[in-house]
Amino acid sequence: MIEIHDLTFTYSGSGSPALENINLRVAGGEFVGISGPAGAGKTTLALCINGVIPHFMDGSFHGTVIVDGYDTASAGCKELACSVGSVFQDPESQIVFSTVEEEIAFGLENLNIPRKEMVSRIDESLKMVGISHLKRCSTSHLSGGQKQRVAIASAIALKPKVLILDEPTSELDPQGSMEVFKTLENLNSNHNITVVVIEQKIQLLSEFCQRLVIMDKGKIMMDGPVKSILSNREVLNFLGIDSFPVAKLMHLIRDKGLYDGEFPVNIDEAFDIISYILKPKILH
Amino acid sequence: MSAFVEYIPGNSIFHRLNPITKILWTFSVMIVCFLTENPLAVLSVFIVNLVIAATGNIIRQMYPILRGLLVFCTILSLCQVFFIKEGTVVLYALPWFRLGPVTDRGIRLCVLISLRMLSTASTVPILLMTTPMSDIITAMTEKLRLPYKYSLMLTIALKFIPSFIDEMNQVMQAQMSRGYNSDTKNPFRKFLIIIPLAIPLLITSIQKSRLLAISMEVRGFGSGKRSCYKDCSMGNADYIAIIIMASFVLAGIAAALIT
Ligand SMILES: Nc1ncnc2c1ncn2[C@@H]1O[C@H](COP(=O)(O)OP(=O)(O)O)[C@@H](O)[C@H]1O
Ligand SMILES: [Mg+2]
Repeated sequence: MIEIHDLTFTYSGSGSPALENINLRVAGGEFVGISGPAGAGKTTLALCINGVIPHFMDGSFHGTVIVDGYDTASAGCKELACSVGSVFQDPESQIVFSTVEEEIAFGLENLNIPRKEMVSRIDESLKMVGISHLKRCSTSHLSGGQKQRVAIASAIALKPKVLILDEPTSELDPQGSMEVFKTLENLNSNHNITVVVIEQKIQLLSEFCQRLVIMDKGKIMMDGPVKSILSNREVLNFLGIDSFPVAKLMHLIRDKGLYDGEFPVNIDEAFDIISYILKPKILH
Repeated sequence: MSAFVEYIPGNSIFHRLNPITKILWTFSVMIVCFLTENPLAVLSVFIVNLVIAATGNIIRQMYPILRGLLVFCTILSLCQVFFIKEGTVVLYALPWFRLGPVTDRGIRLCVLISLRMLSTASTVPILLMTTPMSDIITAMTEKLRLPYKYSLMLTIALKFIPSFIDEMNQVMQAQMSRGYNSDTKNPFRKFLIIIPLAIPLLITSIQKSRLLAISMEVRGFGSGKRSCYKDCSMGNADYIAIIIMASFVLAGIAAALIT
């Protein structure tokens, strides 16, 4: 679904490349998380996938990015808008209109979709993100989680195959973050949309993603299944292990030699493992 | 933002009229009021405005506006009435000294001007209170051929100005709590004090507008012909209203030509 070959991008006026020799393949139906420290080039990568780079930003662009069969460098804005949906960090500055339905209609209007079809697509996408009841609400009165879901709905109204989100939860409280990820999970598993999400909260990534890509200094540092990446102590230290208590606890248990099986990624799995370790002791 | 005239949701006949019809209405009121010299005719226009406000259930919100207009008209009339010398003197401001004569023509003219002011100035808030801004903008794009780019600019400005003011206030309060003194009556000094606060705000809003532009581009903005989600076709009520307004305007013109 997404194929990136030897991508190097340098913003004009900047000395060093923001992305260097990126190679990445994402198959249809995957749910991929991207993480890494600030300045790693995650946002730049997202802008390359949705075609904003090289269409709307200056810089030197080398390599190819192919999304849903389109080469982003040569495809038109219309094709790109229909194949990749994008959601950004700040819910405030990506919402333009005063009511939810107008906001979702905006993309459809741009693509010259007839009114009748627009009405059904708006209803459908609202239903897919679970906010049908907010259709006529004012966008300024919504919670952060609801605003991000409006942004997701306006992206999927264009029926994209891929959804790319750049730190969609960074301005949200834990409940709003959960709302957003549950919505993504539903879109991914029930509507077959490929999801690529840039996220700092490893806890969320570990629960919802199958695959994790770690970036640093414009390069992909690591790429693999969530469990294998999180069971690597160095990667966790690099990402800030304190942000992920389950992993911290499990690494401590491992260090004591109490357990060396499969690595848990959420509280429930960790609980099962810990009760398995404790059981023989309780019986004696 | 209580200082702004805001849309008040409702479902009255006036709420449901096409924005274009309502804009035509404000112009017809203006034309009729300035064509006729008869205070009673202008008074009846004003009463019709009040009836429209009442059926739209916005009398309560209109009250402060009307009161302000009334105060303004009274002051204006008091200033003006002594300067009109034509007609017969009916009373004096200071009867004992026969000073400050007021003529019947003077009173009539001041009443006429006040009523014109009340009638024409009350239409715009009624329009804005019964019509969402986005509908007015859409109607202007669709019916009056305002280019979409400009109407979108208007929409974005209307959305971002209040949040800009909010942020400005936040920055001001944050700085004041650290002892930054912005308390001065002198407007020039106040301006100088605000500049260092406004610069970071300007930078963040430029960043925000870049993000907004990107988020519009990825939704296909500027990719050619557009369609329109909002239905802004005229209904029967609109045609009836336009016919009624047109006949009043024509009657006003005829009356003005005869006299
Ligand atoms: N518009 C821009 N112009 C110039 N340099 C930029 C621009 N945006 C980002 N950069 C630089 O590119 C690098 C990667 O940034 P970014 O992709 O935003 O990283 P991340 O999203 O992982 O924090 C950083 O060094 C940053 O300073
Ligand atoms: Mg970023």
